[in-house]
Amino acid sequence: MTVAPIAPASAPTAGTRTLHVRCTTWDQVHVFTTRKLRRGKLLSMKVPFAAEPGAGVTLGLELPNGLVIAIDGSVLRASPVEGDRDKTWIEVELTGFTEEVLSRLREMASGDAAPAMPDPVAPRPSATQASADSLPADERELFQHLTAELRRLRALPVHEVIGVTRDAEPAELRRGWMEHVNRHHPDLFARRNAPAISHLAEELTILCNRAYDRLRAAVVAEGRGASFGPAIAAPAGWLVGFDDLSSNGGSDARVSQRMPALSAIAASHTVSAAPAAPPVVPATASGSAPNVQGGEAFELRARTMLGDGDAETAREVLAAALCVYPRSKPLRSLYYVASALGALQQGEVMLAMSQLETALAHHEQCREAAAMLEHVRKHGPDDTDSLKSLFR
Amino acid sequence: MSRAIGIDLGTTNSVVAVIDKDGAPRILTTEEGSTMTPSLVWFAPDGPRVGEAARAGLDQHPDLTLFAVKRLLGRRFDHPEIRKLARILPYELIESPNGDTWINLSAGRTVTPEEVCGMVLRDLRRLAERHFGEPVTRAVITIPAWYDAAQRQATKDAATIAGLTVLRLLSEPTAAALGHGAHRGANRRYLVCDLGGGTFDCAVVDVENGLFEVLATTGDPFLGGDDVDRVVVEHLIRDARATRGLDVTSDAIAVERLRLAAQKAKHELSSQPLAKLTVEELAQLPSGKAVEYTRPVRRDELELWSSPIIKRLDPPVAEALAKSGRRREDIDEVLLVGGMTRMPAVRRQIAASTGKDPSTIVNPEEVVAVGAALEVARLEGVIEGVLLVDVASHGIALSTNGGDCELVIAQSAVVPTRAYRVLMTRADDQARIEFDVWEGESTEPARNRHLGRYAAVELPAALAGDVLVLLEVTIDTDGAVRLSASELVSGERLTLEQIFHAGLTRAEVTKLARTYAEAP
Repeated sequence: MTVAPIAPASAPTAGTRTLHVRCTTWDQVHVFTTRKLRRGKLLSMKVPFAAEPGAGVTLGLELPNGLVIAIDGSVLRASPVEGDRDKTWIEVELTGFTEEVLSRLREMASGDAAPAMPDPVAPRPSATQASADSLPADERELFQHLTAELRRLRALPVHEVIGVTRDAEPAELRRGWMEHVNRHHPDLFARRNAPAISHLAEELTILCNRAYDRLRAAVVAEGRGASFGPAIAAPAGWLVGFDDLSSNGGSDARVSQRMPALSAIAASHTVSAAPAAPPVVPATASGSAPNVQGGEAFELRARTMLGDGDAETAREVLAAALCVYPRSKPLRSLYYVASALGALQQGEVMLAMSQLETALAHHEQCREAAAMLEHVRKHGPDDTDSLKSLFR
Repeated sequence: MSRAIGIDLGTTNSVVAVIDKDGAPRILTTEEGSTMTPSLVWFAPDGPRVGEAARAGLDQHPDLTLFAVKRLLGRRFDHPEIRKLARILPYELIESPNGDTWINLSAGRTVTPEEVCGMVLRDLRRLAERHFGEPVTRAVITIPAWYDAAQRQATKDAATIAGLTVLRLLSEPTAAALGHGAHRGANRRYLVCDLGGGTFDCAVVDVENGLFEVLATTGDPFLGGDDVDRVVVEHLIRDARATRGLDVTSDAIAVERLRLAAQKAKHELSSQPLAKLTVEELAQLPSGKAVEYTRPVRRDELELWSSPIIKRLDPPVAEALAKSGRRREDIDEVLLVGGMTRMPAVRRQIAASTGKDPSTIVNPEEVVAVGAALEVARLEGVIEGVLLVDVASHGIALSTNGGDCELVIAQSAVVPTRAYRVLMTRADDQARIEFDVWEGESTEPARNRHLGRYAAVELPAALAGDVLVLLEVTIDTDGAVRLSASELVSGERLTLEQIFHAGLTRAEVTKLARTYAEAP
């Protein structure tokens, strides 16, 4: 049997405090009602807050079958504990602990195995008590409901907390969690301005958030989903193809083997598109072969697109390539060249020029940028088609 | 119950909004008739002035006029961003005893960023009190989504100093979506781009059956309208030198005047293609005669000058989309928030980056405050069926005995959340266990932000390893971190002692709150 105050000590409630007594067996209930309570009504205990005589106190008596009964009472005497200023000895008179409640308790204890009673056994506040009771009836019911719910959920395995099966799909997981959050989120109870209820709601939300996070982490680890912020979704697709990926990092040997084949394809593509062009592998923008920085496959593809005048797609390809090879100067300069070509096609000369200058700033030897800049200075936004030949 | 207000505490401007009796949000206007209060405090010789009244201080006492203090809030002095700011800002930053950033006024007096923000908040509170004619004690305050626990706590402290209880710290993208009316519409996926005076924030916000979720946030902390102003001023200085032979580079007051004129011209150019920029007294001739500087500025000139800055909007947008696992086509609506988004070039850039024409918000400066006011209404139960869900903005890690950090709460955890760790005594009759709390995901303490060092004290006497301390680390709905400890075997609560703590202590905040409550 544990006794714990529920309301946090700093809670600004001037009115009712809630004490929580948990009995895990019916024997404990019996001991509590017979020995712990003096004269059937008086309970003395140490509490971690300052209490004044006359203050209202509600005792939440949690029974082994999960029910919580709220019993009203008031502080009769209070004296500070020596050496510990935060704690007080109080003597509580439980006015709500009537014969009726006691008989129901006995009834329940005798029919131990019987399922929980259909309705919560809240003692009816008598007329004399109602004024002293600062928790309205519906709030007390809510308090009991949340406490019971918290107790029930705490005993469950993680997946059952949010009501899904062990191997639930991401969508089910999310639905289960949302359902719980929509019932228990502390914001839903914020307007009641009742610290005890907000606290319970927060505990419940923490419980189901943790369950959700754990299950989500498991789903992500299995590769069945990806988590973004609080959401979980189907796994994200690959941004780049496997060919492009395998040219990354430590697999340089394979790249160099693969490169001739790739360039041959690109070259043949160029040939078919423009028969007059010489069937050579397009030179890299740097022209310095030994300083290979990766991403040649991307560069080839982008050049082909630029050669066709499709600046927008080329820019996107290069942007994707830059995610994989952020340090490649040729890719970076080509990106700005592509963006300049796009701007030119829309007649934005100023923007194009600034982009070309940026390209040159990134990579001085970028021939295309220099040539295009020359062209733009001479012809302005006209005759962009002739620029395509630069990339062939 | 007293009134509650919604506050958008901005880097350059702050806005306060309330919910009227008929349930409609209303932006409060200052006595000058503006909806925005500059987040400015001038420690003038005759007492501090806040807001519009402090603007004169920018001209007269640049070293005593504090602007953009929100950037310093809850930041360590050795943070790279603060190092950079210390070079830019005209006022002096100093390191506090516990490593925070404080401001040194030239009178030899220091103020904390919390105090300065508190003064701005207090000004806003008074504005609301004049509107209602009754005291205002509670507020929802918006913060950037990427704020860490110390910055959140500092914001709360600033509110306490201003005499306000924080109902909720609301993330700005969520507030923008709420203010835009997302809670009334169907399920949508928003991209919120907030380009204000000093920062650019980008967030993907999902609204699904009344549940608001921020999926990803990115941004650039040094990108905003101020940067555009600075570039324009640089060009104007060059122009003044070339055409008039005036070199005003080292004249702080002239530069400030140019900046104000540039800002005005920038605002005009958002709606018209040509603006006339005039500075009445840029410099003085040796004879004492003032030199006037005027120059027409075309919109395309402005756009050309600012294009390197505006180009920087693209990477955060792309990153936000990538982090949220979205493609451009998946976004249903793009929201532009912040005064700078009135500039046509910014709209064009965002449209190009997202492939979608951004929605037109009538009041991009105020929509965040409207969202904050709606949040007040939501917490008071006026608006129903709306829930805001957020994740921990940074992971929380623990370390003991100066060892490696161990991650206890991951960054993606939905808040409120909690983690438990068991600490063990290592010596017989050990009376206290010390541990450090860090913010960040790294195992290396140096890469994380130190939130504080704490000790569980008054442990019962026992053999080494027999006393187990159960430590609970809770992140609450506001994203603030709470700690509590109990003895595992007996379940008895233990006292936690603060040895070192980032930010102000409770006692300091209470003291400051009292001082400012008494101040006129």
